Order: sequence, then C-alpha cells, then structure tokens
Amino acid sequence: MKEGRMTSFLYQKTGGIHLSYIIEMNNICKQFGTLKANDDVTLQVKKGEIHALLGENGAGKSTLMSVLFGLYQPDGGEIFIKGEKVSISNPNDANRLGIGMVHQHFKLVEAFTALENIVLGAEDTKYGFLTLDKAREKVIALSKLYKLEVDPDALISEISVGMQQRVEILKMLYRDAEILIFDEPTAVLTPQEIEELMNIIRKFAREGKSIVLITHKLNEIKSIANRCTVLRKGKYIGTVDVDKTTTQQMAEMMVGRKVSFTVEKGEKTPGEVILKVENLTVMNKAKNKALVKHATFEVRAGEIVGLAGIEGNGQTELVHAITGLRPFSEGKITILGVDATRDSIRNKYEKGLGHIPEDRQKHGLILDYNLAENLILQSYYLPKFQKRGFLKFDSIYLHAKELIERFDIRSASGAKSSVRSMSGGNQQKAIVAREISRDPKLLMAVQPTRGLDVGAIEYIHKQLIRQRDEDKGIFMVSLELDEIMDVSDRILVMFEGAIVAELDPKLTTVNELGLYMSGSKGGTSH
Amino acid sequence: MSILYDLFHMSLISAVPLLVVAIGAMISERSGVVNIALEGLMLMGAFVGIAVIKTIEDSNSTMSIQWILLIGILVGGAVGSVFSLLHAYAAISMKSNQIISATALNLFAPAFAIFTARTIQNGQQIPFTSVFRMSEVPFFSKIPFLGDLFFKDVFLSFYIGIFVLIVVFFFIYKTRFGLRLRSCGENPHAADSLGINIYKTRYIAVFLSGLLAGMGGVMFVTSTSTEFNATVAGYGFLALAVLIFGNWKPFRIMLAALFFGFMRTIAAAHAMIPFLENLRIPSEFYNMIPYIATLIVLSFASKKSQAPKAAGQVYDQGRR
Amino acid sequence: MNGNEEKVKHPLLEKIKPSLIAVGCGLLVGLVIMMIFNIQEAFGGFFTMLVGALNQGTKSLGDMLYMATPIILTGLSVGFAFKTGLFNIGAAGQMVVGAYTAIHIGVLWNIPAPFHWIVAILFGALAGALWGFVPGLLKALSNVNEVVATIMMNFIGMYLVMYMIKANVLNPLDSRTLNVRDTALLPTWGLDKIFPGSAVNIGIVVAILVVVIIHIILNKTTLGYQLKATGYNKDGSLYAGINTKRNIVISMSIAGFLAGLAGALYYLKLGNHLSTHAGLLPQGFDGISVALLGLSEPIGALIAGLFLSYIRQGGFYMQLYEFKPEIIDIIISTIIYFSALAVALQFFFRKRIQKMKEKKRKKANEEEAKQ
Repeated sequence: MKEGRMTSFLYQKTGGIHLSYIIEMNNICKQFGTLKANDDVTLQVKKGEIHALLGENGAGKSTLMSVLFGLYQPDGGEIFIKGEKVSISNPNDANRLGIGMVHQHFKLVEAFTALENIVLGAEDTKYGFLTLDKAREKVIALSKLYKLEVDPDALISEISVGMQQRVEILKMLYRDAEILIFDEPTAVLTPQEIEELMNIIRKFAREGKSIVLITHKLNEIKSIANRCTVLRKGKYIGTVDVDKTTTQQMAEMMVGRKVSFTVEKGEKTPGEVILKVENLTVMNKAKNKALVKHATFEVRAGEIVGLAGIEGNGQTELVHAITGLRPFSEGKITILGVDATRDSIRNKYEKGLGHIPEDRQKHGLILDYNLAENLILQSYYLPKFQKRGFLKFDSIYLHAKELIERFDIRSASGAKSSVRSMSGGNQQKAIVAREISRDPKLLMAVQPTRGLDVGAIEYIHKQLIRQRDEDKGIFMVSLELDEIMDVSDRILVMFEGAIVAELDPKLTTVNELGLYMSGSKGGTSH
Repeated sequence: MSILYDLFHMSLISAVPLLVVAIGAMISERSGVVNIALEGLMLMGAFVGIAVIKTIEDSNSTMSIQWILLIGILVGGAVGSVFSLLHAYAAISMKSNQIISATALNLFAPAFAIFTARTIQNGQQIPFTSVFRMSEVPFFSKIPFLGDLFFKDVFLSFYIGIFVLIVVFFFIYKTRFGLRLRSCGENPHAADSLGINIYKTRYIAVFLSGLLAGMGGVMFVTSTSTEFNATVAGYGFLALAVLIFGNWKPFRIMLAALFFGFMRTIAAAHAMIPFLENLRIPSEFYNMIPYIATLIVLSFASKKSQAPKAAGQVYDQGRR
Repeated sequence: MNGNEEKVKHPLLEKIKPSLIAVGCGLLVGLVIMMIFNIQEAFGGFFTMLVGALNQGTKSLGDMLYMATPIILTGLSVGFAFKTGLFNIGAAGQMVVGAYTAIHIGVLWNIPAPFHWIVAILFGALAGALWGFVPGLLKALSNVNEVVATIMMNFIGMYLVMYMIKANVLNPLDSRTLNVRDTALLPTWGLDKIFPGSAVNIGIVVAILVVVIIHIILNKTTLGYQLKATGYNKDGSLYAGINTKRNIVISMSIAGFLAGLAGALYYLKLGNHLSTHAGLLPQGFDGISVALLGLSEPIGALIAGLFLSYIRQGGFYMQLYEFKPEIIDIIISTIIYFSALAVALQFFFRKRIQKMKEKKRKKANEEEAKQ
C-alpha cells in the first residue's frame, strides 16, 4: 500500500473527553470445537472514542464483537458496560444496554420495506396490531439529523447497497444505541461514500457515542480512529494510539512479521488476443434492466486485466456470462479467435478457460466430496481419469497428491479430506491449484484472495503473475483497490453495468479509480 | 342453469378443505418450516374428529347437527395441532431433515388410525349418520344471486373456511407476530439478531398449521363422504400444490383452491354434464383430471415462485 | 497441545449408529403401544414379532425373501433419487405401471420361455422409468417440486392402470387381472427346494444383482460421480460443466426403472393379481422407509429391506395374539421418525458429554492455578 496515494483523505480526529471506560471486555475466551476464536482477549473502549479493532480474517474480531452483541456467550472472561458487570445473553440484552451493531453481511429481510426492517423486534402495537406512524416519524427525523438518506417504504430488495447500509445504521439509532459497532463497513462503498460514512461516524463520536470499528484497512484506521486494538489468530497483541503508530507498525502487529506491501512484477509485452468480448449485454430476471451494458474489451496473452468496481455493478454477471453460468441477451465472445458465444460451459473449459469463481463454496467446490474428487471436478470424464465410464481411482489420487505437494494445500487427511473441513484459505488454494494445473489459456479470477490471510494472498498473487509470465491471459475482478493497482497490467472500471474507463495502473491513482467507480467521470479529486 | 349452481356448490365443497389446509401450510412455510405432513395430520384429525361425531350421535344427544359438526372440527383441529408438535420438535429443536420427520408422520397416521379402529371396533371405517349439508341458511338464502351461490346447499365448513382466511390474512400481515413470523421465514439471521425467538415462533406456526390441517381433515370427510375410511385422497398433498400455485399469499390460495375444487367437481360430476357425457370418456380419466391439472399448473407456477427464502432450511443458533 | 484428542472412530459404525438407535427406539415405542392396548398379550406379541419369521423355518424365510424383493427395489429407487438430491415419493405409481405392463405382456403376449418373463420385466421396468421421467423432466425444465409431482403421478398411475385393466386384462368374476401365462412367471431355479413351501423365486436374486449394479454405478463410474455431484451441489456441478438438467432427468428415470422393476418382479407370480379397486401400492411407501433406514446406500437398502420384511412376517403372526398387523406400520413409522432424530440425538449427547468434560477441565485448571 503506498501511503502517498492516501493523502487525499482528511486526517481529522475527534476531541472526545476520556472519562473512563464505557466498555471493558476482560480476558474473553470463546472456543468453537477445537478452534480458539478468542483466547484471553481484552478490549477497553473509552466514552466518545473511535476505537479500531484490527486483525486479519480469522483473527477473532467478529467473534469478539458478536460476544459483545449477545450473539455468542463467552466461555471465559467478564464484560463491564459503564462500569457495571453485565451478562449479555442475546441481542435484546445488548439493545437494552445501548449496544448496536452494523454487520458485515447485512441482516436485512429483503421482502420487507426499510421501515419494517428498522422496527422489527421493537414494533409499536395496539392490541397486537402494528401501528407504524410514530416509528415512521422517528425514522425520518433521525434520517434528516444524520444525513442518512433512506426511503422508509422502499423494499430492501430494490435499493442500493449504500442505502441498505444506512438502513442498518438507522436500526441502531432507532433503538437509541450509545455504543455503535461497525463490522467492516467500507467493503461495499466507493471512496466517496467511505468519506461520507467517516464523517457520520465522527459526528456520532462528537455527540458522545462510542464507536468500535472492525477493520483490516490500515488507512481507514489512520484516518478516523483514536486508538486501535490488534488481534492475531485469536490472541490479544496490543493497543496503540493511532497518532503515534505508523501503518507499517500496525501491519506488523497484525501479521506478526515484516510485511512487504509491494508485489514483485516484471515487465511483459502482451501478445495475441486470448479473449475478445463484444457488446455483451446481460438482462435481469424481470428483463427490464440491463445489468451489463454492451461490454467490450480484450484480454491478451501475457497480461493481467483488472476489473475494478463497487460490488453489485455488474461484475458478477459479466463473469458469469463469459464463463457460461448465466445467459446473456446480446453480444459475442471469442476465445483464441474461435467464436464461443453459444458454447456450453464444458466446451469453454475445453477451449482453454480457467475460472476461479467468486463464491468458492457455491460454485468452486462440492463440499461433500473429498479433496481428490474436487480436484477433478471439470476433468473427471477425460481419458486420464476414466476408462469406459469407470473412474480410475489410482490416477485420480496420484493427481491429487501432485497438486497437494506443488501448491502446498493443507488438510486434515490429505487427498481424502472432506473439503468441508478445510480452511477457507486452503479451499481457495485447492481451486487455484486445480484451475492452474489444467493449463488454461484464459484464466478468469474473481476476488481470488477474498477472506484470505496475508500469506495466502501473497502466494496467490505470485501464482497469477507466474501464469501471466507464461503468456496466459488473466482477467481479475477485485474489490480491493490495492490488489487492482498492484497486480494488474491494465485496469478496467465498471459502473452500473458499463465499462467506463480503461486506465494504466502506473499512471492513475486510487482516487481517480474511485471517481470512475462512483460514476463521476473526470480526473481530479474534489 | 341450476346445473351451474350445483357445480359451483360442489366446487366450493371440494375447495374448502383445500383452502383451510393450504392456509395452514402457508403459515408454517412462511415461518421457515416446510410441513409435508399435512396428509397425515388431516387423517389424524379426521379420525378422532369423526370418532367423536359418531360417539355424540350414538349417545342419542339432542344437540343440533351443526353443533356436532363444529365440535368434530374443533376436536380434529386439536388432534392435528398436537401431532404437528412431533414434526415441530424434530424439525426445530432437533434440527432434523424436515422431509423425513414429515414422512414419518404421514406413515404413522393411517397405521395408527387403522390399528386403533380395528382394535376397538373390528373394522377401519367409522360411519356417521348426520346430514351436515344445509339446504339453505335462513334469511341469507333469500338474497338475490348471492343467496343462491353462497347460502344454499352449503356446509358449515364453508363459513369456517372464510373466517379462517380473513383472520389469518390480518394475522400475517397486520400484526406484530405476523411480521416477526414472516421474518423468520425470510431471513432468520436478521430476526435472531433483533432478538426474535425463532424457535418459539416456528413452533407456534407449525402448531397452527396442524390445527388447520386437522380441521381440514374433518371438513373433508364430513363433506364428501358418510364415513371415515383411513384416507384423505391425497388432499394433504394437493394442498401443497395449492400453496405453490397460490404463491404463498392468502387470497391467491383461495383462488387456487377454487380452481382445484372445480377440477375435482368435473371429475366427480361428469355424468351430470350432457356435453361431457356425449364424449364417452371412461370415468378413470375424469378421476385423473385434478392430478393432471395440478402438474400442468405447477409447471407454469413454479418458475416465478415467491417461496419464503429460508423455508426448509434448518436454523442453527450455534452457527450465527 | 489441547486435551481434546478424540479417539479415532470406526467410520462405518459411526454411520449406522443412528439407524440402529432409531430401530431400537421404534421397537420400544411399539412395545409400549402394545402394552397400552393389551398388557397381557403385549410381551408375547412382541416376541412373536421378533421371531415370527423363523416360526415355520425355511418356509417363512422364503416368504420373507419373496416379500423383501419389491421393497428392496423401491428402497433402491427412493435411495438412488435421494442420493442425487431428489425426493422420489412416486415409487408406488412407478411400481404399479411397471406391474401392469408386466402383467399385460404376461397375459396377452405369446413369447416362448425363457424370454417371456425377461421381456415382461424389462418392459415393466421401462414403464416405471417413464413414470419417473415425467416428474424429472418437469423438475429440470420448470423447477416443479418433485415431491408434489411424484405424488400426483401416483394417483394418475393408479387410475390409468385401473382403466387399462378393465380394458385389457380384466377377470370380471374377481375384479382383478387375469392369470399370467406360465411362460411369463418368474422361475424358481431351485430356490423352492432350498425354501420348500414358500413363495420365493428368482426375484430376490435379481434384486440382489441390481443392488450390486447400482452400488457400482454410484461409486465407481463417471455417471455416478456426476449424479451425486448434481445432488450435493447443483451450482457447483453447473460450474463444473455438468449438465445438471439432464442428470435430474436421468436420476428420476433410473429411480422409476427400479420401482417399475419391483412391480414386475412381484406380480409375475402365480396367485398375485392387481385389483381394480382404487389403492396405492404400499410397497411404494415402504421404499421410503427402507431407503431412509438404509441411509440411501444400495447395500443399506438390501439390509433394511430384509429387516422390514422380516418384522412384517412376524407382524403377520402377531394376529394370534390379538394384535392387528397395522402395529407393524406404526413401529416402522416410529423408526423413521427416530431416524430423523437420531442423527441430531447423537450430536445432542456428544455436545452434552463435551460440555461436561470441559467443565471438569476448567475446574481442574482453576484448582491448579490456586496451588
């Protein structure tokens, strides 16, 4: 991560008065089976403070906050709110103590309206019948006060992700929460929306509310937090004053070793066109809205094309259309010069397509099969693995053994391990191993490092670059701007279904990317 | 002309049990629990309900016929609701496969009914003698047109069914409990995070579906036959089709139930319709009509399904 | 090193534990019900049920094998569909169309032995396959719920067969089908010497053969790999390039084939007739119980089918003790109910034991810390 690019963010801090701790979580332990999600963790938050909770995926941040919110009960340790010892056995208790939480994956009922979602569980009634007028007034008032623009009668399924998050925030405010927990709130926002959210959070803090911000993004912590508690692999590492600590130092605490923020990448001149997409249009189920609009681009041999964009702007549908998981209404797809528009998914694989899917558990793996069976998922019918309809188990297990060694896939029982029991990182490694070992000419990689720890991320980036050096064409979709900037040779930006920009990572900035991602064309920051 | 009225009345008679049971299925599925044990629950309700009716008849009581029917229906409902708790326990507390526990109930019900009936009285049929059909409802039957349609040649079950429909509509859409119930079926994680007790809500929903299924069972037997004979002719499963065709919405379900009632009526009464009689189609083909119609209807209805998102999925608090 | 070392458990034992627990609980409940209705005869009746099949030695054993044949196959049918992610409640309908087709060929066609019965069971099975094909197609193309669709097909099949019997092979004196020609009856190949006086014929041999074939298909072939993948994870199979729609149709057709075969094998027997009275064949629903008890595995279907037939035989003899044979169905449905619970019960007990162990460990740690 290059700190120079972050200078456009405002470095403002709140001037909260620290009286005493409003939250004390002392020596919290929480175990799931043999996994110690929280191992003797202590968190102390002052009133009016913005306190960041930093750690990699799997460090235990979400678990700790779920304990605070009453979703889990700790196996050990004590919790004090405003100096009094409490036991929080369910979210109702947490609500009564003034604790509210905006979850990473929104907990909203899509079939209900915004208002219904906000009042659910705290409804006003008369003889059991719903009376929502008072609630509506309160919601509109809160929404004006904090500039959280929301249409109370809109269905959740029809509003944007940004507005959905505002509904989640209003849920907390409606219940007069004084302690606000935000779990990775910026994953789904543009840089501009992130700044708006930061302002809202600063306003909360100025009013005396206490904020816990769960994140793994160091620049956000630097921008807004007073203090930061670091967790690693379930253990408490330390608490620092953000002013007095560099991002490098925080990163080392988070990871446990010196971290290199740059990706090693040599120069490469792209060769022939591997993938050509022309005028691709994908309609939604109701056929009244185009989710992908006339997308046209190329991927050439020896280059990594990165697709940047906020989640939900058509990237998923674009990739699904190209790989065959979803039909499209218009357009032409050419792989290595051969028209693949009407090809079946299997035909595309045979033409040289590799696909690391966005959702590894839904598409990439069959969780009830073992590792060896998953490693032949697309290839089971090839002569290498079957003869006259009968599977050749020797070849299959040998193949698995080779991939496990070559790609360092860790699992409980080797090739026979149930894939369901493997960690996310190793599941992803298995998928990457499988796709790369099939020697594809075109590799589609969608969020290939989502949810992985730094070590696995480094590894997968290395693999992608190696493939690119071997003259493969790689199309990478990512929500992490750093990944896009560091790994891509060429960047495309997608907004509301259309490709709105093509940029050179060496010449552009994260801010410029952000502007394209949010639909404002034009170069300079505002 | 009077044939049309007759056909309409017969359709209503066939439709009402379907309506009541399907509404019950809707309550259960909207809370997230699939309940395919309806056939068994209807049967259990019918068995005990009819037995009670017969007992009252045999005791030479002077109770009015409609009261006897009402008691039978309520008893059937009570039995259905108690038995549905077995399914609820397996599906909700024990988090088992909802299809398996429901299948067990469907297998248990006829076995238990036949066994008990044969043990107590040496035969599996329970006949009853009361004529429950009302040839007309005093005063209301005089209303022009509507009186002929809805207040002549009708069973008490019809009015109970309409009552149930309206009450459930308000219950599901206008009350606090209804809002919470729907949230359990759409996104139990959201409901849980707001402090709603998923388990309690689902238990109540399954209990209500059992109540309505049991009632529907008694309604079915009393309006289509003169005895209980250990079967409800697949009505429990037809009710599921009605639920799907009705897109999980109360008034659509009513229309769907009417449609199927009409199909069944054509099947049963084809001899009454001269146009059809002239075609000389064997009676077995008429019997098939409701089932074939169901298949056809489902092929079109299943594509745009608006099933509750979390229906059938086990909710495990440990895995929040 | 945490103290949570778990002993390596024998995988097969772990898998069948739930079924064994379910059977035990089901039998217990059955005994209790019997005691409620007739306390004096209860134990005698229960004992007879457990032993009854051996009552008349090889005769009753042979009968047991004969009666097991159709439910092993319907169990295979339901289990196979279940393994591939589909609920086949339509085995009864598939069985009855298979039975009718076999009878039709057996009565009306004139083919020399030994081909007559072979052709009859083949076409019977194919008729069943058709009856499975239709709901499979509806599911693949229109996403029609196969539970409701197969149940509808049960009723359609029942009425269709009633009509066909009346039209083609009716014995008007008895309201049932005519006798099948001798050449179409299933041979006994010596089994009647091993089990003299019983009804057994090569049907059981065919059933066992089919069990083995299905086992091989499911576990050793690319077809099995595809079908199971489609059942476990439709999205992942789609991603893999597997033709999931085609697989749904194939699975249901195979399931229908097996149930149709059950019907053909059962009714190509002297003295067995289809009646024109409306009724769904109960063996179709027994298949559900057999599949669930047998954990959807082919070998499991074999064992569970034999078990079910065994206690049904016993149940038949229970009538001497003043118990109606439907008590067996009560017991079986209870077993199914408990098998749904059993997996969860196991979890439940295991968690309890774990919690107790952890409490002990905590206490031990606290004691240590104090010292």
